[in-house]
Order: sequence, then structure tokens, then C-alpha cells
Amino acid sequence: MTFGWTGKRLRVDLSRETSSIEEIDPSYMRKWLGGRGFNSELLYQEVGPDVDPLSPDSRLIFGVGPLTGTFAPSSGRTTVTARSPLSGGFGDSNMGGHWGPELKFAGYDQLVVQGKASRPVYLWIDDDQVEIREAAAIWGRKVPQADAMIKEELGSEEIHIALIGPAGERIVSYACILNDVYRAAARCGMGAVMGSKNLKAIAVRGTGAVSIARPEEFYRICAQARDRLREDLMAQMLFDQGTWLLTMPANYEQGWFCWKNFQKGHHPQARRLSGEKHRDNFLAHREGCFACSISCGRFSRIKEGQYAGEITGGPEYETLTGIGPRIGLLEMDKVVHNNKLVNELGLDSCSCGGAIAWAMECWQRGLLTEKDTGGLVLDWGDQETITRLIEMIARREGFGDLLAEGSSRAAEILGRGAEYSISVKGHDMSQDDPRGLGFAFGIGFATGRRGGDHLQGLPCLELTGGFYPGLVEKILGTSKAEERLSPVKKPEMERYSEDLKAVGDSLTQCTFTHSWSFAVQPEDMALMLSSATGLEFAAEELLRIGSRIVHLERAYWNRLLVGRLEDKSPRRFVEEPMPDGPNQGTVFPEAELIPRYYAVRGWDPETGFPNEEVLIDLGLEKVARDLEACRAKYQDMVRSERG
Amino acid sequence: MLVDPSLCTGCRTCEMACSLYHEGVCSPTLSRVRIIKYEALGRSYPAVCAQCSKPQCLSACPHEAIEYSGRSGALTIREERCTGCRSCLIACPQIGFHPEKKVAFKCDLCGGEPQCARFCPSGAIIFSAVDEFQMARLRMAADKACQIIQHPAQV
Repeated sequence: MTFGWTGKRLRVDLSRETSSIEEIDPSYMRKWLGGRGFNSELLYQEVGPDVDPLSPDSRLIFGVGPLTGTFAPSSGRTTVTARSPLSGGFGDSNMGGHWGPELKFAGYDQLVVQGKASRPVYLWIDDDQVEIREAAAIWGRKVPQADAMIKEELGSEEIHIALIGPAGERIVSYACILNDVYRAAARCGMGAVMGSKNLKAIAVRGTGAVSIARPEEFYRICAQARDRLREDLMAQMLFDQGTWLLTMPANYEQGWFCWKNFQKGHHPQARRLSGEKHRDNFLAHREGCFACSISCGRFSRIKEGQYAGEITGGPEYETLTGIGPRIGLLEMDKVVHNNKLVNELGLDSCSCGGAIAWAMECWQRGLLTEKDTGGLVLDWGDQETITRLIEMIARREGFGDLLAEGSSRAAEILGRGAEYSISVKGHDMSQDDPRGLGFAFGIGFATGRRGGDHLQGLPCLELTGGFYPGLVEKILGTSKAEERLSPVKKPEMERYSEDLKAVGDSLTQCTFTHSWSFAVQPEDMALMLSSATGLEFAAEELLRIGSRIVHLERAYWNRLLVGRLEDKSPRRFVEEPMPDGPNQGTVFPEAELIPRYYAVRGWDPETGFPNEEVLIDLGLEKVARDLEACRAKYQDMVRSERG
Repeated sequence: MLVDPSLCTGCRTCEMACSLYHEGVCSPTLSRVRIIKYEALGRSYPAVCAQCSKPQCLSACPHEAIEYSGRSGALTIREERCTGCRSCLIACPQIGFHPEKKVAFKCDLCGGEPQCARFCPSGAIIFSAVDEFQMARLRMAADKACQIIQHPAQV
């Protein structure tokens, strides 16, 4: 009997219309933890460089961890992993909600979907019964309608459904997967992979239990962590305002409020999107993911104006800024409406906002004209055009078909405007500007496993770490690193945060409990994991496993011949000093920090590949062998670039 | 036990606390408290045993397996007397059935400190004397009517 884990992987082949259960070896659990760790390992093994992300051979992987579906605080998250159709490289995305725990209660640590159905289908996992069902009637429906139709067809409200919207069906490169209607695994185009398999939805009902090795001890440790979170200022603020609380400090104090495609980091009227204003005028309900003691989730209601009466899940900060200020909007009702639109259509709000922002900046600079857009005028903040564009992108109509490729590839197809695509490795940035947010964040943007994204490490030690006296000093040896725009110890901070986040994503436990709020420390995670599984883990071992996962994901890119040359921040962050606001004049010191980060990691300064001995030390001998040939090839690429 | 559905975030922490506390495993289907969710609307409803005055479960049980017990006076199922006939389940939807032990289970107020209320992060489930709860609600209304924004001690 296994504790914590269920020890089972469910594999569904949509081409053959078969499903099978595979046992997961205990030594594998110890090595990769679960969730993100399991997923990344499987992706590395089964989806090699020759597998197209949208081909039947590609895999779509859902993973939950040993703490998912337990009393551990905020442990209900799910990692979705696939080779990304947007960047062509490693892709994963993490979602909250209640779907992951339901999968666990149904008896699985992981679900792997491969092959391609011959017609639209959905998957129905009812404990140990797995069924592939026709989805012809549901295909084409927006997310809330599809969710309701499946519940009606299956005759139960007590199920949880992960599904795609019309954008996923049309294989928009950054389509997302949502569960419980509004909880998105948004980034990296996981929804496009699901759509390419003709898979509309995965409905799950689980009636089983997660066994706990030492229930009383586990209960006590979780209770202590929950009590700490209850007293924690950051957790309280997240409960009160959600991630909306970022607007005010981001704009007025720290200057990283993304305005018009990062042209500015400050807007004098950003308070129109403040957390207080949302709470007082728009908040319908607070919403918690499974077993969450923070509940940063929002439901919003629009009370007046053209969208009066609308109710929607969200938005959170990245969404509200992505389809708000990034494209020139500051009106809260429009932002909330656009959020509803992208969610229902199944689009990633960051990449969608990124693509529209790219087009608008190209328009601003005369690189796009009505001839390119099919008559659309792309003025910043024009709500009518924006809502039309969102629909056109989701359905790949007209100019929307180009934007559905993401800003990076759209610029490539168009043959101009690449400098205004704010993306890394083809993946659009989330709305975070290292010229204000912080330099450890900047390292993650340039080198991250997803491309441009804040969730590589979420190194909040430089953002909120200062609220915890002595914490930053304890971890990094100096409190100097608390300053966002100081380069001191930032590579070390980013490394620590990345390793810890990989652990959290694998257990699974929400990043906000251990990196934003710091109420849960690695030592607590080790105690929770040990008492739940009956295996003894120490904090150092967990961080080492985290490092192993990060390195495997790095190797996934390296195997595709991606390394130092591609570890590049958007040029705007490096070459254009912040024009105004609190950090006027700041640029991200990439040339200094990236080599230092490589050194801290033990990565080769020339190629950006992890050194062989680092991989071997982490138990990645096979990966080290795989990379040998790639290393030589990439060296040639680097040298020819230089020469 | 008193609930305020408008505060419930639907996180189901209560279900985990309950099943782990009573059964030593984490499983919603073994929880004495259940959350009814309306995902598309973001609404949730905590369904808890009301420990009501005219308990249908008690009258339905033909084996005298349900009785008032302990200091809390909670209506509790004595597993050794329960035959698994499920009469109480028919009488009240708040009763559950343990698929392995083949006995019914219900809320026992955790011996006087209900764990669901203890860990509810939003205050949607409260364990308190009825009068105190009602008075607190009246005081909230009074605060509003008298426009009391700060507690007198802070003025």
C-alpha cells in the first residue's frame, strides 16, 4: 500500500481508443516527487525532438502529487505538461480548482493522453471506469456551456471537468485548458495540444481516499501551517484583495505596471484598477481552490455600464493587466468583461494580450496598416476592436489567424515588428517588467523553462521577503538581496526560488504558500511529505529534487539546441531605460546577471548547457549522455554566430 | 454549527479536516460536512449537520445506534450497534455511509471542537452559541445603522 501517492498512472490512447493503468515505482516517486516532476520526466522520455507538439505522437500529461487531495494547505493544484506549440520547446502550466484532487480520489497520480481521436470526443473517468465519449454536440461550445452540457449528459453535478474552448479546438497556439469553468492552465498552449487530439474535455469523478501514513502527525503539522497562514499578513492581503492588491504598489511604488506593451511602467491613473476598488465595487465572491487556506480567487460582478449584470470568475493580476493596461485599457468593467471573454473562449490572457499589444504597437509605429488587418484600426484601448480581435483570434478569422500564432511567430510571418514582440523563446511575457519588479525575476524571464513567464521561480523574496524579518538573510546570507533592483545575490535567489517552486509544483502545493507568503517553509513541506507518505524527507533533499527537475527541463531545451543564445530578455527590458515612474532610467542588467546565474547553477558560460558533472551529481546520467552530441553541435552554432 | 454561505469560498478544507480527523484518510466521501458547489457562479454552500431538535436520524434508527453523547451533547452514531441498514440515510441527507466499514457516519461535533469550523479560512462555518451568533448579526446591522466604523476602543 502506498501512502500519499496512489502509485498509478492512467494512460489513454485516443487513436486506439484504449486505456491502461501503469504502476509507478516507489524509487521513481522518491526521485521525482509527483506533479510537475513526474510530468517533466515523462515528457523528456516520451516526447523527443522529432515529435511535433501537435502530432498524435505528442503527449498531454496531467500530474498531481503526494499532497494533492489532502489536508495540506493549498495542495489542490494540477500541472499540465506537453511540448509547447507556441514556443516549440518545453511547456507546462499549473491550474488550481478541484479537478486535480478529483483525479487523485479516482485513484491516479498522473494521466497521460496520447494519439488522436478520429472525431471530437471527451473522456469520462469515473473511478476505475474510463470511457471515451462522443463530443460532437459539445464541440464548438464555449467553456461554461460545455461544462454544463457534460454534467447534464453524465447526470451528475458532483464531477469536475477540465476542458478547452473554441480556441483550443481551432488550435490557437496559446489556447488554455480550464477546469471548474474558470480555473485555467493558461500558459504554453496546453489547450492547443488537447484540441489537436480532438479531445474537448476530461470529466472526472473520484470517490476514493488518499491514505496517510501517520495521520495524527500529519494533521498536527498541517494544522500548524494553517494557523501560521491565518496569521500571515501576505495571506490575509491575498484573501482580502486577491492578486489585484499588486496594482497599487506595482504602479506607484515599484514602477512595473505594464502599460502599452511595456512602453511604460507607470500610469498616473492606475488606481482605477486598484484592489480596493475591485473589492468594493466588483467583488461578488471569494473563491478557494481545493483545501486552500488563502483563497485569492475572485468572482466579479459588473454592476453598471454596457456589461451590467455579467458575472465571471477572476480576473487575477496577470489577466487584468494582460487584457487591460498592456493593450491600453484602464476601465475595470471592460477588463472584467474581456477576462470573461478570453476564459469562455479558452485563451491564455497573457499571450492573447501580448499578441494584441504587439499588433497595436506595430500599428502605432506604422508597421501595420489597414491592408494587413483587413480594415481594422488598432488604436490602443479601443474596446470594440479589442473584443472583436479576441473573438477573431479564438476562431482564427481574418487578421486573428495571424495573431493566433503568438506575437513572435506573427512577426516572423509578417516579416517585421519582431522588436515589439515582448517574448522569450517565442513565448509571450506575462505582464511583469524586470526594470521594476526585480532582477531575480529578470533572470527567470530570460532563462525560464517556459520562455517569458514569471512562474519560473516566482522569486518573491525580493518582493515580499522583506516583510519577514531575517528570512532573506537566513537563506542568502545578506538582507541586501531584499532590494528588488539590487544585483546582490540575485542569481542565488533565483536558483533557490526555482528549486523550491519545482518542489511545490510537484507535491503539489500552491506557490503562494511558500513564495509570496512565506508561512510554509521547505522544512514544513518536508515534514508534511514525510508524515503523509511515511518516507523520510529533509528540506535539503527536497531542494535537490527541485534542482533535478529544473535541470531536466533545461535539458529538454538543450536537446532542441536551445541554450545561451536564446536566453535573452526582450530587448526592451535591456536596452530601453524605464522612461518614467519610480524607476526611471533602470534597465535589466542582463549581461552581468545571466553569466553569474550560469556560474551559480554550474552551467557552461559558452553554451548555457548544464555541465556534465552537475547532471551526474543530480542523478541525471542518461540526460548527460543525451546532451553530449547536442553540446558539440550547439558549440558550433555559438561559434559560427560569433565568427 | 452555523453557516454563512455568502462567505464560503468552496475550498473544501472542512472536508479534508473532517475526514482526516475522523477516519485517518483524506476523502470527501468520508467527510461529515460536504460542500455543494456551483462552479459557474462561484457560489458554494456548506452542508453541516444542524444537530436539530427533532432529529429524523434518531427516530429512524431501529437499532438504537444513535444517541446523545459527551459534553457537546452531539447526536452520535455508535458504530458497534449500527447494522448498516441505512434507515438514517433515508431520513436525512446529512448522514454518510462508510463503504468499507459498512456503517453510517455523521457529525459528532468532534467532542466539542468541530474541526471544520476551526479550519474554515473564511468564517463560513462557525461553531458558537446560537444567541451569540444572532447577536453578532444584529450588532452588524446596528453598526451600519449607527454608522459605527471603528470600535469604540480605537476611537
